Amino acid sequence: MSAVAAVTNPGVAARAAELRDAQMLERRAKVDKMFALLLVVQYLAGIGAALFVSPYAWQGKERVLHMHVWVAILAGAGFALLPVLLAFLRPGKPLTRHVIAASQMLSSALLIHLSGGRIETHFHVFGSLAFLAFYLDWKVIITATVVVAADHFARGIFWPESVYGVANPEWWRFLEHAGWVVFEDIFLIWACIFSAREFGTIAVRQAEVEYLSEQEQLKSAALEMALAEIQPATA
Amino acid sequence: MKRWIVPLALVLAALIWTGTVAAAYRAVRLFETTPGEAATAPSKWPSKSAIRRADGEWSLVMLVHPRCSCSRASVQELQAVLEKSPRSVRTHVLVYRPSDFAPGWEQTDVVDSAKRLRRANVIIDENGREADLFGGFTSGQTFLYDGGGKLRFAGGITSLRGHAGLNSGRTDLIDIVNARAESGDHPVFGCAISSREKKETR
Repeated sequence: MSAVAAVTNPGVAARAAELRDAQMLERRAKVDKMFALLLVVQYLAGIGAALFVSPYAWQGKERVLHMHVWVAILAGAGFALLPVLLAFLRPGKPLTRHVIAASQMLSSALLIHLSGGRIETHFHVFGSLAFLAFYLDWKVIITATVVVAADHFARGIFWPESVYGVANPEWWRFLEHAGWVVFEDIFLIWACIFSAREFGTIAVRQAEVEYLSEQEQLKSAALEMALAEIQPATA
Repeated sequence: MKRWIVPLALVLAALIWTGTVAAAYRAVRLFETTPGEAATAPSKWPSKSAIRRADGEWSLVMLVHPRCSCSRASVQELQAVLEKSPRSVRTHVLVYRPSDFAPGWEQTDVVDSAKRLRRANVIIDENGREADLFGGFTSGQTFLYDGGGKLRFAGGITSLRGHAGLNSGRTDLIDIVNARAESGDHPVFGCAISSREKKETR
């Protein structure tokens, strides 16, 4: 049971829920903005990586801009546009953070591709999941995991070499990769639920303090009124 | 601001987002899985080649365009092949270099990694002359000739463009050189060695 639901005074419970929701909204809106900035930085980093790793494709002496550079410019912009707009136009909304989670995972896939499938770039996925936990919404972690698993599953069927390095991996290989993500998810989801409950506990304490303060003010006002009534009589 | 502008912008961005996912996957897949032009390799070691081949010795030849980023993976795979090949196999990496380009143009990280290969001889191939003799068109193209000068393998040794990792090109080559298979071929992934005009005149 959440801390808010356990409160017996309905006025305090309502105020605690209001405080919790407002603080959560403020936090999530800030995280949205953080991810908007991160997505833009990743976009630029992707273009930089493509220009550094594979700037041109060659045909003898002739060179043309490498496909990776185009992908970094166009696909990177396409992936970042919607989440960045949502972060500023619909901050704190559930849809915003789910789109951000999906886009962040797509950015991971793009960066992995631009780095030539380097194993080290796969750490981006795990780092991103940890950042997504800042939302304190475990459903966002699930969205990100589903996108990663779907990416691996689809590529495993149509294009297995790009993700597993071999042409004929076992059909369940995507589950092994997703399993490592789930390993991290378990702890992140637990942390999200635990931290969200703490938010509720803090909100209840604040609501109780406000309630007690109000009660004290009412008592003081009543006492002052009583004193005011006594004083003229004694004068 | 009019009330419909924000929802419209978001719907448009959502369409672009969805379209980008589909288009990016398709474009990248097409790019990575489309092989370069396969070699028309002579069945016997080309007699006009400047590379010396001793009778009885196996020879492994890889063509490399020094500026082809995908060829990093080919050189990496060549290292894996050499680690599992008999030491007697002579290995040559032919680095394409146009003679009218400034000296040093061919000095890239791809060539540096080829130079670091154990038991590999890096040779500058002026204007792709040797590549022409071996009938190769694509960077990463690998040929294996046996002790009698007979072609036993022609193809690439990466699974995709720019992707290192286990693949049948690499394993076939290792099997042949260790007498576990007779011959083989595999698609080659990389930049073109010859320019368009030169190809047309071939």
